Amino acid sequence: MKKVWSVVLAALLVVCACVSLISCGKGGKEIIIRVLENDTAKDKGYLDYLLNAFNEKYKDQNVKAVDANMDEYCDLENDGPYGYGPDVLYQANDILMKYVNGKHILPIEISELDCYEHIPQNAWDAYKANVEGRDVYCGVPVNVQQPLLFYRKDMLPDNWKTDWDKNNNDIPDMVEFWTEMYRYSKSIRDTDKSKFGYAVNLTNEYFNSGFLFSYGAYVFGNNNTDDKDIGLASGDAKIGAKIIWDLAGLMDLKCADESFTNARTTMLANGTIFANVCTPDITTQFLKDLALEYKKQGLSEEQANEKANENLILTTLPKLPKNGDITVEQDVTDETLWMSQKTMGGVNGYGISSYAKNREWSLKFVEFATSLEMVTKRQELLGIVPARDDALTNEDDIATKITFQNLNDGTLVVMPSISSVRAIWTPIKSCFKTIATDGCGKRTFSIDDMQTELNKMVANIKSQIETLQ
Amino acid sequence: MSKEKTKINVFTKIGNRFKNGINGLKLFFKKCGRETYSSMAFMGLGQILNGQFVKGILYALAEVAIVVYFALTGVKDFIGFFTLGTTKADAWLQLAGDNSVIMLLRGILSWIVLTVTVALYLSCIKDANKYAEIKGVGNVPSFRDDLSSLLNKNFFKIALALPLIGVAIFNVLPIVFMILIAFTNYGGEIVPPELVDWSFDSFRKLIALGDFSQTFGRILAWNFLWATASTAFNYFAGLGLALLYNKKCVKGKAIWRAFPILAYAVPGFITLLAFQFMFSNGGPINNMIVNNGGQIVDFLGINSKWIARGIGFFVNAWLSIPSIMLLATGILTNINTDLYEAARIDGANGFVQFRKITLPFVLFSTTPVLISQFVGNFNNFGVFYFLRKDILTDGYLAANDTDLLINWLYRLSIDNNYYGVGAAISLIIFVITSVISLIVYVRSSAYKREDTFK
Repeated sequence: MKKVWSVVLAALLVVCACVSLISCGKGGKEIIIRVLENDTAKDKGYLDYLLNAFNEKYKDQNVKAVDANMDEYCDLENDGPYGYGPDVLYQANDILMKYVNGKHILPIEISELDCYEHIPQNAWDAYKANVEGRDVYCGVPVNVQQPLLFYRKDMLPDNWKTDWDKNNNDIPDMVEFWTEMYRYSKSIRDTDKSKFGYAVNLTNEYFNSGFLFSYGAYVFGNNNTDDKDIGLASGDAKIGAKIIWDLAGLMDLKCADESFTNARTTMLANGTIFANVCTPDITTQFLKDLALEYKKQGLSEEQANEKANENLILTTLPKLPKNGDITVEQDVTDETLWMSQKTMGGVNGYGISSYAKNREWSLKFVEFATSLEMVTKRQELLGIVPARDDALTNEDDIATKITFQNLNDGTLVVMPSISSVRAIWTPIKSCFKTIATDGCGKRTFSIDDMQTELNKMVANIKSQIETLQ
Repeated sequence: MSKEKTKINVFTKIGNRFKNGINGLKLFFKKCGRETYSSMAFMGLGQILNGQFVKGILYALAEVAIVVYFALTGVKDFIGFFTLGTTKADAWLQLAGDNSVIMLLRGILSWIVLTVTVALYLSCIKDANKYAEIKGVGNVPSFRDDLSSLLNKNFFKIALALPLIGVAIFNVLPIVFMILIAFTNYGGEIVPPELVDWSFDSFRKLIALGDFSQTFGRILAWNFLWATASTAFNYFAGLGLALLYNKKCVKGKAIWRAFPILAYAVPGFITLLAFQFMFSNGGPINNMIVNNGGQIVDFLGINSKWIARGIGFFVNAWLSIPSIMLLATGILTNINTDLYEAARIDGANGFVQFRKITLPFVLFSTTPVLISQFVGNFNNFGVFYFLRKDILTDGYLAANDTDLLINWLYRLSIDNNYYGVGAAISLIIFVITSVISLIVYVRSSAYKREDTFK
């Protein structure tokens, strides 16, 4: 009898499982748009705000946008064809555009979108691809990421206006020119070995590859679309590599791993470092830690916050000398000797999965999410730099101003959008690590060694792209 | 001379067996009646002729189901297994096309169904023949008798059916799938909707391509050294700790034992992250060195091959020794203390006692664990992934000098999408670890003298 029961129970279990599986697949007639946002948008409540606003607007249309509720780095290539991916996804351009080859994300007729006129062409280009001989756009830019310089105004020397503002423009020279930043950082190091002037993780590929770009390097040829032409060692990239090496000499081995990244906000707050490079989304954390430090010094919360806001300055990266030598003082009043530093940036935006159950409503959602109202709200809640120029409402928003300026003058180099880009990150990081390790240690590298290291990095990327293909 | 003889013997045996098989088959066809032939023509017909109607109908239904399966999808899937698709999908145009990966999976499934069909067909013929012979002599069991037998004498068949199907779907299918992926060009740019094809390229790259084979050779050599050294060290250190805590002279054993257990209780990846932080250039160890007037040591840096390997070795020991210690502590309590007393009377010193009594006893019980530790260390992904994931070393293709095969596999297949090469490496890892495990296990006393301590 027991055996009969065990067989019956096993059969029941199977039937129940089948029934629940079948019932999972069934749904009402309501159109569901599954939206994948990044974790910060979820944590800070922006996603809820966006979904509620969309659902409220279209409540009579029997459509509902919901959180796709999956990892922010979902793999559309592997999940989408089987019906598991999101309908609309928010990602950086390199992530989103790697899906274009397999046609996993849909091309969008961008000229018909309300935001089309308000987004700079450079930002649109991050989502441009050539498929079967036709130029298509597969994403709608929402925000632009680029590194900016963060420094403490109250750590400037008292005499900066007389001794460190030779061009008399009321901007301290050390945050305006790399040679001066080098000189000031060196003076801080020489006085106190436990302190740093400029301190950053020099292995960070986003923050430091700009030094290579500034002297003629590029990632891929033909406007970042030809992975046969890897240009990270091209032009005078070795001069850029030497700058990384020189900067490493101002720091210690902490610059060759994540130490300065992990502790950047506390180090800046407690005065261990004077300046750091970071994306603007970390501003809130910098301010929080700085205010905390001031509170420790006896200020009230209000005073501490006010002082933190006053003393934490965000600005564009310093100018580079055209001859590439940051270790020698140069005439800062002669504009011809200087050039703006290029930086690597990214454009985050929305794309629509080719496997979206309802393409029309997915596009409507993207239109809604990129509307001025939503982008402004996003900027307010998440502190991002919006890609829409009309969202620039606050005149004091320096990050946005600088980013737009850089985007327009081409000093912001947008990450490549082809799939081979995944092969570049670790080799770049590893190359910078080698240069930084020597720069802050034995200091045996010559300029030719820099070129050798860059060539090795390019060979490594080439192997990963071509050998394994 | 003797080798030649053995060879001849083997061939003669095979020849004889084949001959016997053919003769047996001839005899079977000569002997079998219309019931058997009917079942050969259509499954279940023989059973119906034998008077076993329900069983016959079930067999017939099974044949119909199989025919329907093959007509609807089976034949297509079977052919798809060889072609892996001919029409490319286009998601933009919502053109379904062929998905090579799915076709491979369905192809494997069609092979499984085909195998089950053959087994079912043979069992049907055998059953029809068996009861046709019985029919003339005695009673043929009814369906009720068959059911009753399935619930009593043959209950194991019912009990094992579901797990067997589960194992086939959830274990065998993925393993076969992974093995077969190694023989395709799946990966890189060739992922669905692109059509995948059968190819030996992954193995050719591993063996023939300069950069690739060099990296593979270097990583494999280090992988062996790592797995052997860390398994041996962890094992003897765990055993040593257990022996130490077993000594009567050790005071406060419970407290001392608690330390390794605490280390064991913390989730592995948290420990690894903590060690990564501790040994980082701005971490507490370097802070202490600097505060004492020293220079920062680049423990896990680009030029720290052997220091980083040593740290990995230490970190792995930290994670593994407690489990060996706990195991050995349990086993040590089972050793008969009279053995030690007798050894002492015979004049054996402590080391001889360890070598002759403790070690054989513990080794006997822990050989399977030792094997699993070896396999675990061979495939130890976490240690070097957490410690040095951002580093590439000269002379290594997409890897560094502390990476194990499993780390390289991850870099290739997850970071770079080279699934075919990744599967080929997994296959090699599988062959290496399974061969070593089997040899060690079969040669161990735990296997040879299984009943000794029962």
